[in-house]
Amino acid sequence: MSLAILHGGTYYHAEAILGARYRDRFERVIYAPDLKPGDLDGVGVLIVPDRLNPSLLRRHRPLLLGHLARGGTLVVFAETQAHAWVPGVDWTFRPTNFWWWRQQGATPAQRVVRPDHELFRFVDPAATIWHFHGVLRPPPGAEALMVVPPEPGGRDDGGCLLYDDRVSTKGRLIVSTLDPFYHHGSHFMPATTRFLDGFLPWAQAVARGEAVSPARAAASG
Amino acid sequence: MIDTLLIDCEQPESGVPDMIRRPDVGPRIMTVGMYDFDRVTLDDFRALLVSMHCDQLYLSGRRDRIEAFVRAGGTVLASGHVAWPFLSGLDHFQPIPDYRVADLEVRREREHPVWRGVAPQDLTFRRGVAGFYGRGWHRPPAGATVIHSLGPRRLPLDFSYALGRGRVLFHGGNDLWTYLGAGNSAERMIPQLFAWIGAGADA
Repeated sequence: MSLAILHGGTYYHAEAILGARYRDRFERVIYAPDLKPGDLDGVGVLIVPDRLNPSLLRRHRPLLLGHLARGGTLVVFAETQAHAWVPGVDWTFRPTNFWWWRQQGATPAQRVVRPDHELFRFVDPAATIWHFHGVLRPPPGAEALMVVPPEPGGRDDGGCLLYDDRVSTKGRLIVSTLDPFYHHGSHFMPATTRFLDGFLPWAQAVARGEAVSPARAAASG
Repeated sequence: MIDTLLIDCEQPESGVPDMIRRPDVGPRIMTVGMYDFDRVTLDDFRALLVSMHCDQLYLSGRRDRIEAFVRAGGTVLASGHVAWPFLSGLDHFQPIPDYRVADLEVRREREHPVWRGVAPQDLTFRRGVAGFYGRGWHRPPAGATVIHSLGPRRLPLDFSYALGRGRVLFHGGNDLWTYLGAGNSAERMIPQLFAWIGAGADA
């Protein structure tokens, strides 16, 4: 099965997806307005990059849910209004603090809570830290991989920034409030490049059925 | 009176909601969904605002229509990096490899009504972070006026140029409306942008 990605014709998708660094990672790159039935046949993992116009995702919801219903993996990044079209997504807005690292003695609020997850054999947990766009409440049975504590202003009770959901659909959902494609594609915030350097090989391995977490391998072996 | 069309890309922290809520400029703006652009008549507006989040591939397929609007006397403000040129005079983005903070310093090359009283320092930094305003450059067309440049090499960042009876203002970084709420002189850009639009192409 192949790794596919949608792009939305923005300059940052052009750079991050069609640019030389990652273009060969994807077996299929689909301009999202042109997505049509059949385009996802043979696709194991489909990535919805951050900031893809939500109106397209609502329009293509039947095709995207069809991919999950066939057992496919769907990866959904930030600012795509996932709560409006992805099953099980519960998202709360939190104003983005992009300057936290400038404050004296700053330590990141983000925390990887499942370092044993297969993703972190590919991605250095330190490469997940820049900022985030709101928090998620994972559905029961989903694995929270990254979390943050409650917002100091009391806006939320804390939440999740990245989860792996194998229960809400027949497929697998990776949902995140991180925005690596936008920042890498904007030449802005180098951690996002380090994140994609690991994340995309992992997504490729999942598409090929090569990525299995040690815990799952032990359970099935 | 509505005189400005803004293409909406549904980005909650884009500054668009803040701009629309402002009583001085909000009533002048009509938003249209990115993929509903073909449903509007551009002649009904003085200005078209093209944000950094727009689908440039889509817009490049409507280049003749956008250009006809400008040539007939319209104003276009376009922001972001250009990947698919959608108007004469726009060329592809040029990154600054391995840039440092000094490379991101915004320099004023020419006074312009939109930036009157705006300190370049307030553009270079947002809450102490450099790079939002610009982190690369674009080659301006012949005859363009460069308004801001970046870094010691004075690479062109913002420029304006005439096209027919109209005008194009290009800003090669994050949307100007993301500076609403900055708490400094950068907030002047949006009311001054609308004053400049209102003054017309002869301004």
